[in-house]
Amino acid sequence: MARLAIEGLCKGWDFPVIDDLSLTVEEGEFLVIVGPSGIGKTTLLRLVAGLETPDGGRILVGDRDVTRVPPYRRDVAMTFESYALYPHMTVARNIASPLKARGLPEDEIRRRVGEVTRLLRIDMLLERKPGEISGGQKQRTALGRTLVADPQVFLLDEPISHLDARIRHELRSQFHTLEDLRRVATVYVTHDYAEALSLGDRIAVMGNGGHLVQVGNPRNLFEQPATLFVAEHLGQPTINAIGAELVDVDDRLEVHAGSLRLPVSPAHRAALTKMQQRQVTIGLRPQHLRPADELPQGMELEGRIDIFEALGSTGVMIVDAGGVRLTALTRPERSFDHGEVVTLALNPAALYFFSPVDGRNLLL
Amino acid sequence: MRQAIVRGDPSTYPDWFDGKRRQRPLIVARWVPIAMVGLPVAVLFAIVVYPTIWMFYHSLRDTNITGLFTGNHAYVGFANYGTVFSSDRFQDSLIHLLQYLSFGAVLQVILGGILALTLYEVVKSNLWRTIILILLVLPMMLPPSIVGVLWRFLLTPSNGAVNQALLDLGLISAHIEWFNAGVSLWSIIIADVWNWTALPLLIIYSGRVSLPPAVYEAARVDGASQWKVVRRITLPMLKEVIAIAFILRFTDAFKFVDLVYVMTSGGPAQTSELPTYIAFQRGIREFAIGEAAAYAIIIFAISAILVTLFLQYMKRVMRAQGLA
Repeated sequence: MARLAIEGLCKGWDFPVIDDLSLTVEEGEFLVIVGPSGIGKTTLLRLVAGLETPDGGRILVGDRDVTRVPPYRRDVAMTFESYALYPHMTVARNIASPLKARGLPEDEIRRRVGEVTRLLRIDMLLERKPGEISGGQKQRTALGRTLVADPQVFLLDEPISHLDARIRHELRSQFHTLEDLRRVATVYVTHDYAEALSLGDRIAVMGNGGHLVQVGNPRNLFEQPATLFVAEHLGQPTINAIGAELVDVDDRLEVHAGSLRLPVSPAHRAALTKMQQRQVTIGLRPQHLRPADELPQGMELEGRIDIFEALGSTGVMIVDAGGVRLTALTRPERSFDHGEVVTLALNPAALYFFSPVDGRNLLL
Repeated sequence: MRQAIVRGDPSTYPDWFDGKRRQRPLIVARWVPIAMVGLPVAVLFAIVVYPTIWMFYHSLRDTNITGLFTGNHAYVGFANYGTVFSSDRFQDSLIHLLQYLSFGAVLQVILGGILALTLYEVVKSNLWRTIILILLVLPMMLPPSIVGVLWRFLLTPSNGAVNQALLDLGLISAHIEWFNAGVSLWSIIIADVWNWTALPLLIIYSGRVSLPPAVYEAARVDGASQWKVVRRITLPMLKEVIAIAFILRFTDAFKFVDLVYVMTSGGPAQTSELPTYIAFQRGIREFAIGEAAAYAIIIFAISAILVTLFLQYMKRVMRAQGLA
């Protein structure tokens, strides 16, 4: 067993896709890389798998430098976004393929395929072909093919992104319970923040230009995002981001946006007062902005409801508050009409302050 | 329920049709779809179905050239078929056909496949792939009559280029008599392979190009060797495509007259005749319309059986992969 270390990795075609990226995944760690589509997450996995050759940097599995080693000698296994099952082979033969390539004896192969398929509960499908099974079963077959290889490093590329929501949630739990995945270094790529928060021992948020914006444990990333980019990618509905200005009013510090006047909490004041820059982007998660009766002792503001969505487990409202569009959450049983004026409340301590220039979190 | 065709009075339109939807229902008169399907069916009937029936009719009659124009021909039952089946000429031609199919058509598909996959796996630059592909496809651009004349020149025993080259290379010590009995059919097969290998090549190459790259990446991570990948992944995935190439070359074999006519005229002593050539010879040159029609019907039956078997096979392959 071993850890995976990526050191100063670079890769680009006409423009840099991965730029001087370093990352370590410890043995037994489940690292989730999250970021928008087309940002280079898959390229990173393909570099680690050996399907692409890096322009610079090193990849180590344990103490072994595998940067120039062909894919099958790296001791990594990868599932593909498209599953990449062999369409003409049965499920059993698909799963057996990495073992066959290593020339293991037939009964050993059968035993291990049996084990893995029982674990993934696809053992009744062994003689089916990929065209005859459902999307979720295909995903589990692809996962089985990587599990059976028993590698040092697992690379999972958007394994459940293309399934419908119900099955996605069901299969998410399998990643929690699979011992094999929890024993070795696993890199899991997704664009779904909920998967990331749910599964990751650590999360790495990948941003434009092939950099990791922030790496840390899920709670840490959610509560203390390093940049507005991170805050926008973790959380649904998306965090409210409002261009605003810091204003000294008497002995207090306020933040003004449109006709909104919000006080700055004493806890944040010290960090903000010493700043030269008065323009900020304030961030406010929708769950911290609620109807006033749901959040007593909050700082109140008035808004007119533009859109209200009752989503069953919560209600989402988009309101116009003094010329600023805000998203707020309500308890699920409530209902509002378009045009209705509501009093909302927020806790000033829940506000984030980001630099409007580079999106940096000004409180960190 | 979605309605595909809405006709007539707008007040009868379904209530979801508000006239503004992106996907408007297609509004056409009732005769339009009938005409669109009917016209090609009529053409097909005129040039395929009717002549086939006509041919079957005359295969049962003693029609000759005068009878054809005067209408003076009599019912003879299956006598024409008896003549065909009992003639040595037909039996020999079936053996020739078998030889042509198993060496000509099969060799074309095998060679085309090898060339296509080698080209794809070895040449990685798109420009070079295109250039080589064009060069390989050039023979197919020539009309078979020209190919026949060309190869008759090349294979001329006394001063042909092929014999000369083989002599210079020391592979043979005396001229090969390319147009003698027993050899002339091989000469036709060589010319035909040269002419038509490009077709299976193109089909299999395009099939290979459209295979999903992720499957090959999975194989690379699994650690399958290059040869194993071709044998265990590429070839099985190209099964249908290869079957299509076979079907095309096999069906062509049944209308294969041109090269035979130009290169050997079936000779010497009818040793390079194929059934179709005999049908052509008996019907168009010797005016035994009834007998020629019997030949044609027999060829039609054989090819229909073969194609049906192929289609059954394809259906099975595709069903196994969940494609049909």
